[in-house]
Amino acid sequence: MKPLLEARELHRTYDLQGEPVHAVRGATLDVLERDFLALVGPSGSGKSTLLHLLAAVDRPTSGSVRMRGRDVSSLPDRLRARHRLLNVGLVFQRFHLLPMLTAQENVELPLAEAGVRRAEREARAAELLARVGLDDRLRHRPGELSGGQQQRVAIARALANRPSLLLADEPTGELDRTTGEGIRRLFAELRDDGTAIVVATHDVHLAEAADRMLWMVDGRLGEEEP
Amino acid sequence: MILRCALREPRRHPGRTLLAVAGVAVSGAMLLDMLMLSNGLQTSFRDLLQDAGYEVRVSPAGTLPLDTEATIRDATRLLADLRDDPGVARVAPVLAANLSMRADPTSDGEAERSVFALGVDPANQGVFRVTGGRIPGPGEILLGEEPPPPDGGAPSATADSVSIAAFGALGSGAGAGARRMPVSGSGKFLYVSESEVPVALELGTLQELTDRPNEVSFVMVEAAPGIDPDTLATRLATRHPDVRIVSIGELVDQAERRLSYFRQLAVILGTVSLLVAGLLVGTIASVSISDRYGTIAAARAIGISRRSILATLLIESLAQSAVAVALGVAFGLVTSRYLERILSDFPGLPEAVRFFVPDGRIAAITVAAVLVTAALAALGPAWRVTRMPIATTLHREEP
Repeated sequence: MKPLLEARELHRTYDLQGEPVHAVRGATLDVLERDFLALVGPSGSGKSTLLHLLAAVDRPTSGSVRMRGRDVSSLPDRLRARHRLLNVGLVFQRFHLLPMLTAQENVELPLAEAGVRRAEREARAAELLARVGLDDRLRHRPGELSGGQQQRVAIARALANRPSLLLADEPTGELDRTTGEGIRRLFAELRDDGTAIVVATHDVHLAEAADRMLWMVDGRLGEEEP
Repeated sequence: MILRCALREPRRHPGRTLLAVAGVAVSGAMLLDMLMLSNGLQTSFRDLLQDAGYEVRVSPAGTLPLDTEATIRDATRLLADLRDDPGVARVAPVLAANLSMRADPTSDGEAERSVFALGVDPANQGVFRVTGGRIPGPGEILLGEEPPPPDGGAPSATADSVSIAAFGALGSGAGAGARRMPVSGSGKFLYVSESEVPVALELGTLQELTDRPNEVSFVMVEAAPGIDPDTLATRLATRHPDVRIVSIGELVDQAERRLSYFRQLAVILGTVSLLVAGLLVGTIASVSISDRYGTIAAARAIGISRRSILATLLIESLAQSAVAVALGVAFGLVTSRYLERILSDFPGLPEAVRFFVPDGRIAAITVAAVLVTAALAALGPAWRVTRMPIATTLHREEP
């Protein structure tokens, strides 16, 4: 099967007060359709940086990221933003919902950016929120929702434009164990529905729910626990 | 969606928003007042001159009408020459003098009043408007409208006749050289200040009272239909080098030159207030945006374009500034009335001259200037946040 996403020899080096910091060193991986992949490793090992490279949020210092055969890492900023909007769903540890918008409006945001008409995006947002179990919270603002509910809204937002790849950075990091369990189940269901998922996590339970686990230490990616 | 985000965000921080709106409103009010001040004197002075309907003024050489006590001698010859000119439609001579006046019959204790008398040709005059009765004929007097008493009570009654004499000649009792004159009516005088008590007499009567039989203080000339007042003034000035003859346009220009410091001061203060508004908007926008680095970086990460984010932040700033400048215009109009009351006490200013003249064009300039400044001030922080590296910002914002 041809991979959905191919990352080849990714390197990302930052300049920190004149000193080079090698956040990712030669990472290579394939993500298949319906894959559920967990990136685990200690803090500062480069998991978030790798996730940003896979999402085309950041450019690699060298190496490439191809999605369905298209090199997305070398696209200009505007096209990379469009690629993320339509093909990649992103979930953050701190949710980053817009506090002045309701749950439904937050989910509508990427749809509006993609040019979807109002009636269609309202219906789609309501459907997605129902999918994550929040059909009774459409008109609630983030401040009126619990952490778990906010993360569900963030996941619904990430799925708004029907991306084939969902990337989540510590999605259960701010949640208690019970709430985290709900998110784990939701990811498993999404994978079953056909979405490929890559999560960077410290959460052992979430990592164990994944089909594959990759370890990251000092920017190096491996299949074996070091 | 952009509009929804932009209009709702300010409500999340009502204190900050209120502060920004109040600050910009005060700056907008000051800008409006300064723009009105820079233009008001000239506008009201021009309106005052044009109101009388005579486009050319003749005054003693080296003076402006009513600027000094100097008079034009041998006025009869000058007036005849002006009336004979084919470019002249009407000639209105005016003699100004200070007189003493007392209501008649007098009560023993009533003091005389100093009045500013204008002698006019009853057939052609442009220095007052009759508001009751009629224009004074020979031996008659027209009194200025009494201002309402400061306590808000009813104005004092107008006498049927008065005793009048050259300034200081009344003394006690009837006074030597005093004349008793029936009051023909009352009027509103255009060129007198609030502190003066104006009266009007027939020109010959005033010349006789002041023993200046062939003198006038100035002459107002109306150009015949189709005649350009500036050209007429130039032609008449060439023929009469012993007096000063200028058109209203030239007088307004001279006034503008005299008052240029006023305009400069107002423009500088207006610019400063605009600068303050810009700094305030820029500061508030910077603070508000820096609070949202993480959210904005996340929005960009999920694919929201730079353009959408920039538009949202600019609309957010413009919406607050629009509310602020609307309040500022209202506030500026209120404060201008208060300032007008203070400045109109300046001695010697005609009552009709205004420092602050409300003008739709000036209000529109104020609104546009504040909105453009707000947009420019917010553009810097908004532009910067859209250029911030997403990954680095997210790294910083996430634990």
